[in-house]
Amino acid sequence: MLQKISFIIFSFIICSNSLVAQMMNQDTLSGKLEDVFITATRSERKFSNLAVSAIVVNKKTIQQTGSLKLQDILQEQTGIVIVNSNLATSLAGYPNPFGQGVQMLGLDPAYTAILLDGEPLVGRNAGILKLGRIATGNIQQIEIVKGPSSSLYGSEAMAGVINIITAKPTAQNIDVQLHAATNNTFAQTVSYANRFIKTGVQFFINRYSTGGYDLDKNIYGKTVDPYRDWTMHAKITHDFSAKTQLLLSLRNVDSKQTNDYQITWQSQPAIVKGFTEEKDRSFFAQFRYNRSANSRIYFRTFFNNYSNKSFVNLENQDVRFDETSFNQTILKPEIQFEHSHNSTSKYVAGVGAYFETIDASRYAGKQRLATAYAFTQNEWNFYQDKLTLITGIRLDKRTDFDLNVSPRIAAAFKPNRFWKITASAGWGFKAPDFRHMYLSFYNAQIGYSLIGCNVLANELQNMQQQGALQAGANINPYLVSKTLMPEKSFGTHIGTKYSKGKINIEAGIFRNDINNLIDVYLLPFKKTNNSNIYSYQNINRIFTQGADVDVKYQLFKSIAISAGYQYLEAKDKDILSQIESGKMYKRDPITYQSSVVKKADYFGINNRSKHTINAKILWTNEAKGWNAFVRFVYRGKFGFTDVNGNNIADDQRELVHGFWMTNIAASKNINQKISLQVGVENLMDYTNAAQLPNISGRIFFVNLNFSFNHFNH
Amino acid sequence: MKRFILFSLVGIVALASCTKDSATPVTIISGTKTISVPFSSATAFTLFRFSDSTVVANTDSASNKWDFGLRFTTFIVNSYAGGPGSAGAILNNGTFDATPTAPTTGYAYDTTATQRAIKDGSWYDYNGATRTFAPKAGKVFLFKTADGVHYAKMELLSVDYAPFVGMYPTTLLYKFRYAYQANGTTTF
Repeated sequence: MLQKISFIIFSFIICSNSLVAQMMNQDTLSGKLEDVFITATRSERKFSNLAVSAIVVNKKTIQQTGSLKLQDILQEQTGIVIVNSNLATSLAGYPNPFGQGVQMLGLDPAYTAILLDGEPLVGRNAGILKLGRIATGNIQQIEIVKGPSSSLYGSEAMAGVINIITAKPTAQNIDVQLHAATNNTFAQTVSYANRFIKTGVQFFINRYSTGGYDLDKNIYGKTVDPYRDWTMHAKITHDFSAKTQLLLSLRNVDSKQTNDYQITWQSQPAIVKGFTEEKDRSFFAQFRYNRSANSRIYFRTFFNNYSNKSFVNLENQDVRFDETSFNQTILKPEIQFEHSHNSTSKYVAGVGAYFETIDASRYAGKQRLATAYAFTQNEWNFYQDKLTLITGIRLDKRTDFDLNVSPRIAAAFKPNRFWKITASAGWGFKAPDFRHMYLSFYNAQIGYSLIGCNVLANELQNMQQQGALQAGANINPYLVSKTLMPEKSFGTHIGTKYSKGKINIEAGIFRNDINNLIDVYLLPFKKTNNSNIYSYQNINRIFTQGADVDVKYQLFKSIAISAGYQYLEAKDKDILSQIESGKMYKRDPITYQSSVVKKADYFGINNRSKHTINAKILWTNEAKGWNAFVRFVYRGKFGFTDVNGNNIADDQRELVHGFWMTNIAASKNINQKISLQVGVENLMDYTNAAQLPNISGRIFFVNLNFSFNHFNH
Repeated sequence: MKRFILFSLVGIVALASCTKDSATPVTIISGTKTISVPFSSATAFTLFRFSDSTVVANTDSASNKWDFGLRFTTFIVNSYAGGPGSAGAILNNGTFDATPTAPTTGYAYDTTATQRAIKDGSWYDYNGATRTFAPKAGKVFLFKTADGVHYAKMELLSVDYAPFVGMYPTTLLYKFRYAYQANGTTTF
């Protein structure tokens, strides 16, 4: 009865549809009830009606995996690979603590927009947003759209969008979770939600701490140093009337990590120690006004400040060896309008602006950028929803470059209730970011300088005046002011979906062509200490193409299985044309003699696996409160390094071998309020210290969950 | 059967070489050489002569006795700012084997001390993480020798540090293969 009442309350008040109720009762693998999906259209749609390639991961699946790390959950999704970055700008000599991100459709992490409740997160380091900043405990649903989505989300949404939707204040409940795992990892989570007639509150607090891990005992320092994160997230909704609602959201993430590693100091090995502190604060206010049953307006303001301060001191000496600071702020006001015309058409439009400020020790001065944007999208439904057609376009104008236009067109055709065929094409873009323009970084340990395009002329002149450049260095060609252009892509996707009874199959093919890709290049002269100088320019033209297939099958009432596979080719067009014209050479690693690279030898862009596989088995016994979830993830071999003098992957020795990861979790509801979950991640204890330091060894974990629903009734 | 084929092959090769030898005298001097080069921008250059594959003493630097010199990663050739000779160089993209002739024109010279025939940094990649020099693949050096009338081709195979104690290396070992045409023609 109570459940019914709360059900009715939130059906009426909170959501315009029963989005949350559906999600709560829904099981992804069996897919009986339907998910509602926001990200693909910026407004709520039934998952089955989408015309683009999308994945939804709901709260129940996240809970069944038992993982507290977002990257673990993401990497089990078809077509998503968690990769390391090769050039992050961390403390001098520090082993790259920021390097993990999402690779989608074969594109680097910088090309996937990561949103939290629809709003962008700032503070990317070398293009990578640290996924650890997002706690999983209050995630209601993860929505993933594959393919260019700049028509709705602008820059960065070139490969796709990952939108993390956190819990909304619905029913009364308190949830407490205690987590303990290998490597002295502990986490405590408390979430509280309540409704007071017209006001809903949701409060979430999480502390996560870990001792880190060490994959190579012969090297001083841990592979990942100990850290602790605090996450707090509060949401308040207030319904002024049936037509108007205010949503306020406050989020604060506070992270502190030890730095402890070896450097070379005055020609001697020395130890440095310190801390890295990160703070991520955001504020979001949204006022929703329902003009009528089929028309509404949103007024939104989003503010996010991300700061990162790091330092290391020489051990036993009061000498600061290195310190960095980074502070980025974004203010984003936006108005969005939605209108639906019966069930035949739906219209979404919006205007907004970004005001970005960055102040970082490695950037030349405090920098500001402003972007104004407008988007519009229309969706038509024909023949009783059998055919859906979507057209959308977005305009972005940033202060420093020309108007950027990103259109998209998509169609879905459902000949009967079993089949769906989709096709979409869209343009994506990524504006050059602060690092490309303003970075001024010298890594003393590895010995290179990386200088942003806009400050290059100035920095080179300074270096030359200070006598820091090699004699005879001709800097004149670099004194002409150059500006980077936005990177542009065009992507297409054709997919089909078949679902009947116990089986659900999705398959698709995709192709993306990217021009103007910004990459580092080496300047033809060096500093007097023989260290290289790099800067950024629009050089590369690449393509990525492939196919994916995803099968879900309800084997028995209690057992659901699923499997996904992605085939990917990602190649640099300029390298391909060099190979085709016989101008790409390689050096034999034994005789050292040069020969011509054959086309068949070119493996593709580094860090891209041709084959990725995931397989999952979920066993549930509702009556007895048991469930067990086994997942296998395979990442096929990928290019990593160069051994034969041409900086492309064209030799088996340059590849990292493919590997499997096995993750298992099992949980038991002890009673209505308490459940216990145990599990193991990376069961086979796969590690690769040199090439994949982000993968820790085997992890055992225990979760104890307390759930007190409707506690005061 | 395998052995028979092998024998036949050896026979054919031997026969072929014999025929060639008897037809024209060998005028191509070729081989692989490793030379020691100082790991310093201040000490004297290591000088090399193709005609007899010899490292020339630096006391002979003001003579025509050497063709090119190396110090750290800096190449000099024996002309103008480099020396009294007429040596020039071309850095081509290609493979050693697929470079059967040298051009007679188009050579760059050590015009000034800062404008060398071979630009520093144009022929190798330095890996800061491993602190290693890797000569770029597919680069062929073509030389006009100090006397201005002979030609040679050269491919850098590797640049390694000689074993050292302490923090810094003292010597780089440059390994290269080369071919020198002693009869004054441009074919190798």
